[in-house]
Amino acid sequence: MLGNCMSKVMELRRKEGESHTVPSNGKHKAHDNGRMIELRDVYKLYKTKSGDFPALKGIDLNIEQGEFVAVIGKSGAGKSTLVNLITGIDVPSSGEIIVDGFPVHNQNEDQKARWRGLNLGVVFQFFQLLPSLNLIENITIPMDFCSTYPSKERKARALHLLDQVGIAEHAYKIPSKISGGQQQRVAIARAMANDPGIIVADEPTGNLDSRTAGEIFELFSSFVDQGKTLLVVSHNKDIGPLATRVIEIADGEILNGNQKKISALEI
Amino acid sequence: MVLQARWSKILKDIWGNKSRSLLVIFSIAVGVAAVGMINNAARIIQRDLYSEYGAGNPALLQIYVSPFDKHLAKAVEDMREVESAQAMRVVGASISGADGQWDDVGLHVVQDYDDIQMDKYIPVSGSAKPAIREILLEGQSADLLGLHVGDVVAVEMPDERRYNLTVAGVVHDVYVMPFALLGEATGYVSMETLDWMGEAPYFNRLDIIVADGKNDKEHIIEVGGLARDRIIEPAGFSVAKIQIPGFGSDPGEHWAQSQIKGFILILQIMSVLAMFLSAGLVINTVSAILSQQIKQIGILRSVGAQRKQLIGMYVFNVLAFGILAVMIAIPVGLLGAWWLVDFAASFLNFTVNQIDLPLSVLLIQLGLGILMPVGVALVPILSGTRISVYDAIYQYGLGAESENGLVERLFGKMRILAPEVILALRNTFRKKGRLVFTLITLTLAGAMFVAVFSTRESLNVQINQVERYIEFDALLRLPGGRSKNAVEREALRIEGVSVAEGWGSVIGVILRDDDTESAEFEIVGLPFETSTIDPLLNEGEWLQGEGLNQIVVNEDLLDEEPDIRVGDEIVLEVGDKQRPFEVVGIASKHLSGPRIYMDYGDFERFSGRNNQVDEIRVIADPHMISSPSTQDEIAEQLEERFTNARLDPGSASTRHAFYGNITDTFDIILIILIVMAVLLAIVGGLGLTGTMGMNVLERTREIGVLRAVGASNFSVRQVVVIEGVVVGLLSWILGGILSGPSSWALAGAVINTTLETGLRLRYSFLGLFIWLVIVLLIGVVSSLAPARSATRLRVRDVLDYE
Repeated sequence: MLGNCMSKVMELRRKEGESHTVPSNGKHKAHDNGRMIELRDVYKLYKTKSGDFPALKGIDLNIEQGEFVAVIGKSGAGKSTLVNLITGIDVPSSGEIIVDGFPVHNQNEDQKARWRGLNLGVVFQFFQLLPSLNLIENITIPMDFCSTYPSKERKARALHLLDQVGIAEHAYKIPSKISGGQQQRVAIARAMANDPGIIVADEPTGNLDSRTAGEIFELFSSFVDQGKTLLVVSHNKDIGPLATRVIEIADGEILNGNQKKISALEI
Repeated sequence: MVLQARWSKILKDIWGNKSRSLLVIFSIAVGVAAVGMINNAARIIQRDLYSEYGAGNPALLQIYVSPFDKHLAKAVEDMREVESAQAMRVVGASISGADGQWDDVGLHVVQDYDDIQMDKYIPVSGSAKPAIREILLEGQSADLLGLHVGDVVAVEMPDERRYNLTVAGVVHDVYVMPFALLGEATGYVSMETLDWMGEAPYFNRLDIIVADGKNDKEHIIEVGGLARDRIIEPAGFSVAKIQIPGFGSDPGEHWAQSQIKGFILILQIMSVLAMFLSAGLVINTVSAILSQQIKQIGILRSVGAQRKQLIGMYVFNVLAFGILAVMIAIPVGLLGAWWLVDFAASFLNFTVNQIDLPLSVLLIQLGLGILMPVGVALVPILSGTRISVYDAIYQYGLGAESENGLVERLFGKMRILAPEVILALRNTFRKKGRLVFTLITLTLAGAMFVAVFSTRESLNVQINQVERYIEFDALLRLPGGRSKNAVEREALRIEGVSVAEGWGSVIGVILRDDDTESAEFEIVGLPFETSTIDPLLNEGEWLQGEGLNQIVVNEDLLDEEPDIRVGDEIVLEVGDKQRPFEVVGIASKHLSGPRIYMDYGDFERFSGRNNQVDEIRVIADPHMISSPSTQDEIAEQLEERFTNARLDPGSASTRHAFYGNITDTFDIILIILIVMAVLLAIVGGLGLTGTMGMNVLERTREIGVLRAVGASNFSVRQVVVIEGVVVGLLSWILGGILSGPSSWALAGAVINTTLETGLRLRYSFLGLFIWLVIVLLIGVVSSLAPARSATRLRVRDVLDYE
């Protein structure tokens, strides 16, 4: 059944635009140049009472398919801004952002929403689940908006994803009835709802205890094994050993360039 | 069928926020129910009352003539301009009900019961034609008197002789004034029965249907004049009055049709206003829902929702509110229509065939209940879903509001006030759009509420004018006229009566300067030093003496002849006599209709009716109004004495009966208006309740911060309640300002509709004060529940609130 669903997703993605390259095995493939995420000279300025504040200063970044990239840095360094620009949640002041061949920087909100729904899973620090919906419904809602899976199959897929994140037994509860860690698992399952090639998470463990945070990171690692590209912003040092690459940001600039794997001690 | 998650979210949001949902649903339902009630009732009244009225071939003209026989009717009917003419007689008497209580009854005699030409009654039970010593009773009279077919009923004539008549049948007559309204029952007897009861067998009214131009009022009056000039007067009869039946109705219309129409129009305007208030509330609530769910909108956008999908979701939300509202409003509106029609039917004495809900009313209700909310909600929905994902998720919430405006800064400087009060005042102005909508709703409700009270007081002014105007204790009509000297002498013989005035009246016209004639007016001849009325003079002075050829006109006459001024000389014409008179004064309105007063001596000479009067008015004590029982006693004695003296009197009436009938009618009108005002107040209250609930919900985190820094539950409650009270007070001030014009409009419309007279507005400060109390109560009550729930939350939960 899930196989059929995957075909549907691929078909929809094919309709989304020529820039999407969907291989026959259903896995995302990096764009022609092999890059899944590409940022070119990206600036982001925030207007404040005391003048323009540069959150990002000329960021150049390439992330390839299947990478698990951790973005670290102090508070106010520009980590979240970077993630928001890549997901299309925020718009750059200048520069180009290409994600899986999709030029995020010059699309309107609706185009970005549709693209995000099909190709990108976003996980927020505060989980951001819809409080009135039960866990299954929270997961099926992206499928509903993007019309990916047939209505009758969405519930089964949601249960499958809940099972993957280990909380299937709570499927019919509303978010407030489960713990923070469990809520973040649901948020991750929701991010996986339309089987996107990329998962982006902004401080996914910022609100969790260390044990639960470890479990969440393990979960992310398992997605890399499935061929997903992961970009995770975190303060948590435990992410280092799991990531394939760690990017450190300070004052809106990437300090260590496109440095490959660094040790936990360096974080 | 699997319900998609987005629709499930909306349904769960509706269910999860029951109070808010109920608030919107009730707000829509109140307006829709009011519109349904008024429109359906108006339709049923038009269908059943007007059609019943039209079906019985209504008389288009009534000519009051001195005693005549049926040959005169035949002669008038033979006129080319007349289709049919029917002789009628109405005699005042008393009837004993089943409980032994005596009530006034008008005994009607129709020329030919086998061939009733017009104003046909409908047989309900028993016989449709009264034989000798039998009486038919009008249905409402029979019901209220507790009489049935076969009962023997005692009827007392003005000469106190009693006759037992058998109730032969019950008929329904929509053409007579209902017992419930007039306080006088209606019966039908034959001329033979009347003769047997000692009454002279003559007719005194001619009912006419013209041959052509049945809707042309002027033509019909003209035909009446022709009948008078060509047939009636040449035959030696005199005409007392020519009139279109009803109170300002057009020919062929129900006697109260213009009042009913006007009153329904007023109610329709109020129901539309209720709809407007509902619409404002929908906009306010949907704005609040969107504002509260901004973050959720951002999340939905982040997982793939396009704007049109979000718009669809919230339109579905409003549709659900609308559908639920019409599910309540349609049956409630139908019940309301039933109540209103039943009320009108008992008041106006018509038969309600069926209370149904026509497609037209249903469609109006569905349109207003479903499409209107969706239409108005599109404004906040379109603007609420336009927000970017970033702004929705990261910019909304604490600290996301705009900079403080002038008002907020002003409150910030009010060091004299307690911090809770300053915070409440600043909170009031934080959501300015919502505040504006809430204020509009409450302001309109307040303005209409005060307007209803002002209407009541203005009506009271009119009633008081009537009360002030009438100074007699009792009045006795003398159909056909009697000797002035004789009736005044006879009246003064009654023990306790100290003043007796005979009044004469004729119908005349004003000859204008351009040689055209005015409509016909009543010209009254009375002693210039009259003590039985106390007219309020708007301009000029009262009649100064006899032989001065002075007249006083009233404001009603000025409505029709607006060029008349004090000091003018106008030429009056009665029959073939013309004479100039000087207008010395303008009297205020007092429900008599257009009227010209002149001294009896001048009247006598001008009209040629020497020593003839048409009514006698008496007073027991000129320095005070007698008690109702004394008035009744005098009226009874008048009837008795005049009957014994063979002066053949008509019915007597008293000051309190006349005044009581007017006030009863107005009270009913006011009850309906107050019901509408209360509905508006409910919608306004719902508006403020909703606003306060949303304000508190939005500030849940802020309240948590307040409590975390040491604010007591009492302080938190105080902040919320003060805000509610401030909004209420602001709306009261604005409503007070708007209540001036709204009072003028509503009171003017009601008075014009019910009294066919211009407005003398009396603004109701009592209404303004009552509304202040209500609005303060609404402010406190509407904020208490949100304040309580705000203080119930644990600080930690509140700070975690997303």
